[in-house]
Amino acid sequence: MDNLLPIIIVLAVLLLPVIWFIATMNTLRQKEVKVEEASSGIDVALTKRFDALSKLVQTTKGYAKHEAETFEKIVKWRAGLPKELDIEQKQEFMSKMNEVQSGINVAVEAYPDLKAEKVFVNLQNSINNVEEHLQAARRLYNSNVSTLNQRIVTFPTSVVASLINLQRKAFFEADAAKREDVEMNF
Amino acid sequence: MAKDLSYYQNKKSLSEKLIVGGALGAVVSFLGMQFTAVNLPGLYNGFILLIVVSIILAAIGGFQFSSIVKKFKNEYLKDIISEWIEDGYYDPKRGLSPAQVYHCEFLKKADRFHSEDLLTGTIDGIRFQASDIQLQERHVRHTKNGTQTYYVTYFKGQMYVFDFNKDFDGYLQVLENQRPQSRRKYERVKLESIDFNKKFNTYTTNQHTAFYILTPPFMERLMAIEKAHPGKIGFAFIDNQLHLGINNNKSNFTIHLFRRIDEALMKAFQDDLKVIYSIIDELKINKKIFKEV
Repeated sequence: MDNLLPIIIVLAVLLLPVIWFIATMNTLRQKEVKVEEASSGIDVALTKRFDALSKLVQTTKGYAKHEAETFEKIVKWRAGLPKELDIEQKQEFMSKMNEVQSGINVAVEAYPDLKAEKVFVNLQNSINNVEEHLQAARRLYNSNVSTLNQRIVTFPTSVVASLINLQRKAFFEADAAKREDVEMNF
Repeated sequence: MAKDLSYYQNKKSLSEKLIVGGALGAVVSFLGMQFTAVNLPGLYNGFILLIVVSIILAAIGGFQFSSIVKKFKNEYLKDIISEWIEDGYYDPKRGLSPAQVYHCEFLKKADRFHSEDLLTGTIDGIRFQASDIQLQERHVRHTKNGTQTYYVTYFKGQMYVFDFNKDFDGYLQVLENQRPQSRRKYERVKLESIDFNKKFNTYTTNQHTAFYILTPPFMERLMAIEKAHPGKIGFAFIDNQLHLGINNNKSNFTIHLFRRIDEALMKAFQDDLKVIYSIIDELKINKKIFKEV
């Protein structure tokens, strides 16, 4: 029994780093999964926003022709966002939708009757709601990215991250105006 | 309105006089008994009689005071609150039910539950319910003389329930130095605001909902509300309702001895309602921008 003790100690000393490595790797992978889940949340919100905007463009086609044309440029994603879309492309997609939305907002200013229509008001409300969900999804994603990135750059977790080839993730940036509460501008 | 404030004030004043007179009489009689016990037995017996009469007078005064306060709340306050608030309903004897209170999921079940001063109504189109709540926990102390049971108050304050203007999934708790008291799988979430995270612990069953409800401006408003209302505060967003608990060791609509029933008191009562207005106004829950028009 006395002879076994040094062996147990040596084994424990050797095993401890291995256990720590596995535990850290699992934690990092779990954080990465959280980021991916949050990214999917952004996809869902972007798709909903696209659908709502699509309806708005249909309703205002006669009043905002230029915006309808701009919208056609992003209509290629009608069937849903491609899976391989990276964060920068999602941001670009969101910016395009913001552009169309702003254009419609300006264009319909000249048509008070349209602004007062129940269908139009409901659509605007629906878009505001979707926009709030999109902002929530963006903030949740960024929060998870921030947590993961902090782990990746902090020693000694950074060693594990490097060994399993885990890279820092990009944040999903938002237009400054979109960080504010969504208010009805009509 | 059947009677005016002066009616209740006069009645209350009379009861206070009885209490003061009775108490003074009891003190004088007690002192008199000390000086006459040995030498003046006749006078001593007179003082005994006087102390009994004084105590009876004070008791009658106390009973009348309690009775007039109840009458004032049931008659005058009930009426005036229905004037102050749309659909306003006030019942001093009732309060939020235990089920309504524990629905917030941040208060543990009490061994003694008491609620009173139920207030319901609509402000700016928002339905609300509120009441004073007192929750006590039973403790047992074992001593060499036996076992003592006593109760410790762990929540005394107000609970408010508001309709919330956003539809959301899951449960969200924003608590000051507390944890959810539920078996539900809450997980702690950190928001972007360091100040907010320092002030509150946020727990949710759906992280997206936490970020959906707690926008940066909304977090600022929650902190402003916390700052404006002393006491430990808790917000729960459950089933499209906002539950707000303020543990401030205070009761609303309280009438103390010797406090005049007058316009100043009514102003103080209106101030008790300010918290409801400020929640609706500060949190902008009256802006139903996402509901069907």
